[in-house]
Amino acid sequence: MSTRRQAITLYRNLLRESEKLPSYNFRMYAARKIRDTFRANSGIRDFGEIDRQMVAGQQNLELIRRQVIIGHLYSADKLVIENKKTLKPSDD
Amino acid sequence: MSFTQIARSCSRLAATLAPRRIASGALVQSQASRMMHRIAVPSMTSQLSQKFAVRSYSAKSTIEDIKFRVLKVVSAYDKECSGRWQTQSVRRYSAKPPLSLKLINERVLLVLKLYDKIDPSKLNVESHFINDLGLDSLDHVEVIMAMEDEFGFEIPDSDAEKLLKPADIIKYVADKEDVYE
Repeated sequence: MSTRRQAITLYRNLLRESEKLPSYNFRMYAARKIRDTFRANSGIRDFGEIDRQMVAGQQNLELIRRQVIIGHLYSADKLVIENKKTLKPSDD
Repeated sequence: MSFTQIARSCSRLAATLAPRRIASGALVQSQASRMMHRIAVPSMTSQLSQKFAVRSYSAKSTIEDIKFRVLKVVSAYDKECSGRWQTQSVRRYSAKPPLSLKLINERVLLVLKLYDKIDPSKLNVESHFINDLGLDSLDHVEVIMAMEDEFGFEIPDSDAEKLLKPADIIKYVADKEDVYE
């Protein structure tokens, strides 16, 4: 499997896993951080550096997986901004 | 028998006597008497136990005791965890809305229009994501993920890299959902 495909699979897995984080702040931070880091590192051409970044990404994927489980064990209420209640016209 | 052991046995006895209300009387009675025995007998036979090293602080429990204890723990765990994340699956009893090629077409284009990096004026069914719309491979992954969310099934990586135009996605979704007209 080429490095390119590995990177894309890792990107996908990270984004998919980060969506499962129960805490709004962690979820949004993870998604933002993953996107920014991948875009910032997309110009790397050195294979040694690519390998290092891939290993770091894998470790972070494991970290997010663990954090999803822990977050579910100690879940808190949703934030106000997460409630998708749509306002009725009569509510104003 | 040391004072710590006696103290520990006494506290166990107290703990056994406490839930008298819920447990059946006979069971508690027998447990209590055994506990008393455990406090009294070792202190009497401490001379003996020095010679023969008799261990008397782990009373043998009957199968009934073990069953009772395990069931109590299990039921408490169930009560604690019901309605938590283990049972998050949602069951929908209504069928999915019927799909047609036109509907798939509209939904795919709507998702793409709402994606902030795509210029809606340039968007066309036949426009190439990378060459015409100026996305890179990372954006392409996000587009495919948005499609997965929209149509509710997973698109494997090997298929995803072939879906380079909205038309490809529409055809792929139609094939998956068995839509032909």
